Amino acid sequence: MNLPISLPTLPNIPGLPPIPLPVLPPPFDVLIEFMQTSEFMEFAVELSLKLLVFPGLAFIMLYAMLAVWGERKLHARIHLRIGPYHVGPIFGLFQLVADGIKLLGKEIVTPERSHKFFYHLAPVLIMSLSMITLAFIPFFPVGPGEYWTIYYSEYSLLIILALFSLRPFIMIMAGWASNNKYTMMGAMRAAFQLLAYEVPLMLSMASVVILAGSFDLAKIVESQANMWFIVPCFLGFIVFFISTMAEICRRPLDIIVAEQEIVFGPWTEYTGMEYGLIMMSEYVDVAIASFLTSILFLGGWHGPGLHPLVWLLIKMGILSMFFMIGRSTWPRLRIDQLLDAGWRKLIPLALVQVFIAIVLVYVLKVIVV
Amino acid sequence: MDVERLLEEIKTKLSDVLVEAKIDRPRYASIKVKPEGMVKAATLLKENGFNHPLSVSGVDYPDRGEVEVVYHVSCLDSKSLVALKTALPRGQPSMPSLREIWRGVHFHERETWEMLGVKFEGHPELKRFLLQEDWEEGVYPLRKEFKLKPES
Amino acid sequence: MPIRVAWGIQHPMSGHLTLYLDVDGDIVLNTEADVGYTHRGLEKIAEYRNFIQYVPVIERACDFDASNFALGYVRAVEALMGIEVPERAKYLRVIAAELSRIMSHLYAQALLSMTGGFETMTVWSANDRELILDLLERLSGARVTHTYIIPGGVRADIPKGFKEKAYDVLNYLERRIWDYYKMLFQNKTFQDRTMGVGVLSKQDAIELGITGPNLRASGVDFDVRRDDPYEAYDKLDFEVVVEKEGDSYARALVRFYEIAQSIKIIKQALKDLPEGPIRCKTPPMLPRGETYTRIESGRGELGVYIVGSGTNKPYRLKISAPSFRNLAGLVYLCRDIPMGDIPVIYYSLDILLLDVDR
Repeated sequence: MNLPISLPTLPNIPGLPPIPLPVLPPPFDVLIEFMQTSEFMEFAVELSLKLLVFPGLAFIMLYAMLAVWGERKLHARIHLRIGPYHVGPIFGLFQLVADGIKLLGKEIVTPERSHKFFYHLAPVLIMSLSMITLAFIPFFPVGPGEYWTIYYSEYSLLIILALFSLRPFIMIMAGWASNNKYTMMGAMRAAFQLLAYEVPLMLSMASVVILAGSFDLAKIVESQANMWFIVPCFLGFIVFFISTMAEICRRPLDIIVAEQEIVFGPWTEYTGMEYGLIMMSEYVDVAIASFLTSILFLGGWHGPGLHPLVWLLIKMGILSMFFMIGRSTWPRLRIDQLLDAGWRKLIPLALVQVFIAIVLVYVLKVIVV
Repeated sequence: MDVERLLEEIKTKLSDVLVEAKIDRPRYASIKVKPEGMVKAATLLKENGFNHPLSVSGVDYPDRGEVEVVYHVSCLDSKSLVALKTALPRGQPSMPSLREIWRGVHFHERETWEMLGVKFEGHPELKRFLLQEDWEEGVYPLRKEFKLKPES
Repeated sequence: MPIRVAWGIQHPMSGHLTLYLDVDGDIVLNTEADVGYTHRGLEKIAEYRNFIQYVPVIERACDFDASNFALGYVRAVEALMGIEVPERAKYLRVIAAELSRIMSHLYAQALLSMTGGFETMTVWSANDRELILDLLERLSGARVTHTYIIPGGVRADIPKGFKEKAYDVLNYLERRIWDYYKMLFQNKTFQDRTMGVGVLSKQDAIELGITGPNLRASGVDFDVRRDDPYEAYDKLDFEVVVEKEGDSYARALVRFYEIAQSIKIIKQALKDLPEGPIRCKTPPMLPRGETYTRIESGRGELGVYIVGSGTNKPYRLKISAPSFRNLAGLVYLCRDIPMGDIPVIYYSLDILLLDVDR
């Protein structure tokens, strides 16, 4: 048959005649032809590198392993204990691997009268939500106007904010589907807490947006080339740090997963690898919060000397350590004290910060947008 | 109020229901009254400053045919103790509850009912406390007829 | 609409207790306590064991404060018999009782900080409690249930090297508890969590029969060691700690200061230890009669009412345990409070269910 394109053939095996691949109807043949072009190949390679290596699967696994090890060691040393000790080269480095293998071997128990679809969907969704948020963050520049990110958008900050707002729904889904009074109460409290801290989160992000003039995370970092935003926006930094700590439910603001102490809130009934997914999502959340804080306030990838990615990882690592130290040093706040802090104390501070930002940009014209 | 003056007052005011009153040790007195005089004696004690209830115990005397209920109360100002006792007939032991007078005896009376079968009239919550829910009715562990099985 | 939650027995933070809560939103309207999960019938067992055999049994009535419970029972037996132990035995009993009291208070502090999610203080307190347990092991041979105090005196004399080791541990602990003060009591979050929570007024505390550090935290100046002294306490010099507010913070603070006072008592007792025998002879049978004695254990006032029968087994033994009396306070306080306050009130009253159930 004479076709305007050349059919692919299998490689030449000596001794056998060349075997043509079967002819496919359009549009598949055009598709296969397109997939052999060099632009698609480059795009595919880059996408798989991003999805699988950085900031994808391999990075998340490696970060989770280091974060679990670091947190448990730091927590233990503050307690005058030793921490994980046996598994791995540097006294317990592979603890996450050991825990993961253990959790894979456990039975996934479904409570008797639970809504099975939503019950099993919730941990998958919470993990996916955390990982999707990583898709919109630019990590370092690869060229003029080009950044290493899975999806580049000019409204990436808004998208990330919207993804943060989806969290209470998943917690309510998990709490309701488990058919348990404790989980339902925990889910209600989770909804209250996450809603209360979204407003200071938005307002502190708003002050950064005013100073930078754009919702694009990459442009926000570019406009910090001369001065990091923590200098004019110090109040906003504090408010943002506390609000992300509450949004990702990290101690000392994790009363919903310490419901009357340690009956795990909306996630009580999960066992096995579903529990593993929930735990992992907590560490991925810490990564996201650290990345966001360093991009918004600490100048992102700017820094003298080293490669931009190294600077970003250094800043993110130091912020993760602050999250971990906060876990050991403060007791938990009660839910009404938490909500009181969110609504009545953080919102005025964030508003003051927004006011300062507006004054600096439009009145004093100190910072040029 | 210290125990000597208390005993004087009791001997005058409770002379009709009083069975016995003595001082065992410095600042420790014991008073035995008839069952119908318990409320009056308790009110008198509370008015004289004995308002800190310590315990309620029941003792089973099958040879005398009675169950003795002992209330220990203390006075924090004079640091003294009084034991208020009464003897109830063993077949139908019941007496008015002293919960209105001393609030703290609520759980003590509930336990005495459960262990010895003494019915406290007016107590709002006489039900199972320490024993399991499916314990048989009418079997009272601290009575002498309830024998523990000996271990080897 | 109120729902009924079982803050229950299969709960990481409830101890051996179920509280049935009627909860509306976040407010607890009403509480009902369900106890009896560790009921062992110790009072009935007393009628089947002779009075020496019963000493290990009474220590299991509450094993976090074992020597004080043993002391309470042994004093009742000795008061019934009318004997008095030698001077050296009295001082040794005081040492064992005060070490046991420090152990109990450190454990109470560890549990209270666990309710706030403050695991750091839990592990630090448990860590230092290990030193006291080591001292008690040197003294009596067992870490937790010592069986050191028996009717007639104590079981054995202090071993060689005990005084030096005790001074080391006590000096270290005296400096260390001020770290706890800075870390726990001056921590703003802990203060927010415990100040104003579970306030017991003075009148309520007296009428409900509350006892021990809880009573002293509500402003009542009463301590059995000073007001009805026993053993060698009338010769030792210590202060009774009283606070006025009556909230959970005050109760925790009273226990904290009592640790410092106990250290002072032990040091004095070690210095003033007189020579002499450590045991005296006891009659083989319990005489007829009855008596009630009380001591101050770590958790409150322990009263023992014993009726002797003429044989070597008691006719009736009634233990009026401190946590049993404080339970009335728990049920009284857990009304119209937010749900997050329940573990704080429960552990600040230092109720351990072992002596409620006996």
